[in-house]
Amino acid sequence: MANTIVSLRKIGKTFPGVRALSDVSFDITQGELHAICGENGAGKSTLMKILSGVINDYDGELHVSGQLAQFRSTRDAESASISIIHQELNLVEQLSVAANIFLGRELRSSMGLRSDRLMDLAAKKLLNDLETDIDPRVLAGSLRVGDQQLVEIAKALSLKSQILIMDEPTSALTESEVARLYRVISKLRERGATILYISHKMDEVFQLSNRITVLRDGCFIRTLETTETNANEITKWMVGRELESLELGERSAPGEVILEVKNLSLVWPGHARGYRLKDISFHLRRGEVLGIAGLMGAGRTELMECLFGASEHPVQGTMLLKGKPYVLSHPADACQAGIALVTEDRKRLGIFPAMNVGQNISICSLEETLSAGLLSRKLERDASSGMVSKLQVKTAGLESAITSLSGGNQQKCIVGRWLLTQPKILLLDDPTRGVDVGAKSELYRLINRLCQDGLGVIVTSSELPELLTLSDRILVLSEGRITAEFTREEATQEKIMHAATK
Amino acid sequence: MTNQRSGLLAKLGIRPNEIALVIAIVAIIGVTLVADTNRSYWFQWDTNTIEIGRQTALLGIFALGAMMVIVSGGIDLSSGSMIAFSGTVIACSMIYLQYGPLGTYLFPMVVDAAGKSIPTDIGKAGLFVQSLVVIVSIAMGLISGFFVGTLHAWLITSIRLPPFVATLSTLVGLRSMARILCEYTTSTYQSSKKAQVNIDHPFFTWLRDSKHVYLWVAVFMVLATITLLILNRTVLGRHIYALGGNEQAAKLSGIRTDRLKWFAYVFGAMTASLASVFYLANEGVCAPVNQGRGHELNAIAAAVVGGCSLQGGIGTVTGTILGALFLRIVIDSVSKIIKSGADIWEGLIVGIVVVLAVTFSQLQQLRGSGRRLFPGALGVCAMITLSLFAGLIAMSTRGEKQAVITVVTVLVGLFVYGLTEKQKARG
Repeated sequence: MANTIVSLRKIGKTFPGVRALSDVSFDITQGELHAICGENGAGKSTLMKILSGVINDYDGELHVSGQLAQFRSTRDAESASISIIHQELNLVEQLSVAANIFLGRELRSSMGLRSDRLMDLAAKKLLNDLETDIDPRVLAGSLRVGDQQLVEIAKALSLKSQILIMDEPTSALTESEVARLYRVISKLRERGATILYISHKMDEVFQLSNRITVLRDGCFIRTLETTETNANEITKWMVGRELESLELGERSAPGEVILEVKNLSLVWPGHARGYRLKDISFHLRRGEVLGIAGLMGAGRTELMECLFGASEHPVQGTMLLKGKPYVLSHPADACQAGIALVTEDRKRLGIFPAMNVGQNISICSLEETLSAGLLSRKLERDASSGMVSKLQVKTAGLESAITSLSGGNQQKCIVGRWLLTQPKILLLDDPTRGVDVGAKSELYRLINRLCQDGLGVIVTSSELPELLTLSDRILVLSEGRITAEFTREEATQEKIMHAATK
Repeated sequence: MTNQRSGLLAKLGIRPNEIALVIAIVAIIGVTLVADTNRSYWFQWDTNTIEIGRQTALLGIFALGAMMVIVSGGIDLSSGSMIAFSGTVIACSMIYLQYGPLGTYLFPMVVDAAGKSIPTDIGKAGLFVQSLVVIVSIAMGLISGFFVGTLHAWLITSIRLPPFVATLSTLVGLRSMARILCEYTTSTYQSSKKAQVNIDHPFFTWLRDSKHVYLWVAVFMVLATITLLILNRTVLGRHIYALGGNEQAAKLSGIRTDRLKWFAYVFGAMTASLASVFYLANEGVCAPVNQGRGHELNAIAAAVVGGCSLQGGIGTVTGTILGALFLRIVIDSVSKIIKSGADIWEGLIVGIVVVLAVTFSQLQQLRGSGRRLFPGALGVCAMITLSLFAGLIAMSTRGEKQAVITVVTVLVGLFVYGLTEKQKARG
């Protein structure tokens, strides 16, 4: 076996309340293309952030080229010749391509002044090496995403990086751009670069890599030689997560159809794919939980926003509510129609940090607490405290700051906020994200109970066991399309993951 | 809206920063009693009370509007120009109604044979018509506020301009419009083109009389009560706090945020229109060139000193009233102690008070973070700037010799502080 260039020893990282990585140990060989696979939240991104110096307080040891590495910043990592090409590209759009490549290391002329000419020439040479004719003088923001990515790679080359981390590099590329990227990758490898390649697309991983490492729940599962394994085996290792044992009891048979969606599409201007969602059709019954599975970026949140009238662009297709077509131009229309949405990003889109617990719960149903046209403190308090006790929110009182509550209890407040509007359809977008285990199972029981009361529930989750526990049916989204539908009995983690990586 | 309320004060709904403001107001009155060699607050307490009441009402009325916009998460920079514009609309409406073609037809009794002036002895019918002229004109002023507020809301929600840009453009644009309107009306309906109009209508002379200052304060208090009611006891008010606190979440809670912004900006502009009535009375003239110029910043300052967060979502009526009162008392007190016109000092005082008020509210954070107040070269230059400004103030009040002493003293003081800070940061 060839030389080990990067060696990870018992790497661990804890975020408040979450163990993102624990005891991860493996080696990366000089000159190989090493793929890292794992589900959402498996710890891939955290690991890459540690390697590239973005995160600098972690447990365990990192050795690069045989030396213990203690990166305090990305600059330290760069000087140890590690560069990362982020999924969300990191360019200053208002600066030229050359200025971006040499940002922070600007070339100077003999006079000591910044020399744009020298940088343009050097950038041109780097870009030529990558077989592109990108003009180094144009603004980075005016380039297509694929070209921007090449600029990032050129930047890494200018740093003479030996180790390149690519975080889902093909997610925003057209087919021809992907082919060009593959050519660039092979060129880099001819020069002896080591590449860490994060992806959940099996065909890519098998086409490019020498070895594959699977992570799951922040743990190292195993490293396999690509030639000695296949996509099915990798998928199996990725999803082999334990099911939490939680019996929710029998559900009564679902009632009539309350929501029907036909050929729903949502455009995505300026993106290679052109659409965020394409030809989505499904229905939802009373008393049913419909799960929506999909990897990051598959379009789960966008679908929820469409159903709630909150999408950025006009939605194409038809939605029927109890058989009648309806159009949503604003979330207020959805509220009127009896639809409620518990958003994914609680902190940004859910809570009102300057308001107390009671006010956070009552905000959507204030019309119910009026007496003589004015807000009645008593009616409002009654409504909020009713929800606090019904949902067992742990709080010191309605006057407490919402930010003093744990994630799970904040989430209960937001669910309570919507239950006060007496919705017919409840949309839950990854409701247990950032919620601890105890509160999770309480939320599961609550969803089950609501369903028995006749609500139709649509739930998305980045955790497959959760969907399997909760859902009567599961739709799988992949890159904006529905790729499979399973009943509760049919569904397994492998089948879902297979459909989601299609 | 804050969370640190506790005990009895909490039950009364009083916030810590409001108590601090009351204490500060009392302290400043005390200092002025001692430091003012004329003992003006003691011997002429009645005229001083009237003057401060008048000034506070004048500022407070549109400070409430500024507060509403700030709580909703926006900013209205145009209120000073709005005062000039609305004042001009009122003045020009009066000219038109009295001397225009409509006026001579509808109100013949107010115009004498020459069609130039109003007879002094007009009788009951004339009084009625004269009141009508004022009421219609003031209504026109308020309506102009409605339209300007609507323009702001449209620019911000439909054209998607940042509030700062939208209201900055009306800040400069409205004053120009006011001058154009003034010149047009005076040249068309009066003898010659004029840059300003004297307000000699009996209503405004009556309002200017110091015996009627209670009315100014009463209007301010009524408006404050209405604002309090809107913010604390209506769905609209709660939604405004929600909008300012987290716009995205508000929208995703089914709140029609665009309508709320419309309300907030209309409220902001219409309070400025209302204030313009008192500006006309106070100054006895409609002067679009400089009426209310720069006063939008005083209103924003009153709101911020009163505890509003410029990030939105936080702010109270009580705080804003106290903020306006505090600003006016500081300005008045300085002019009493230094014995020169208050207007020279006004800008400086507003500037200092705002910096101090915001620094005060962040003092906890500043201490906690261990950040230095005067770091490196920037810190040294800031020290020099501060001591030079101190010297400038000393020069104008005490003379040039004292100015030099002041500069040196302040600079040495700050330098010593900077050194201890540096030591602390190392240790």
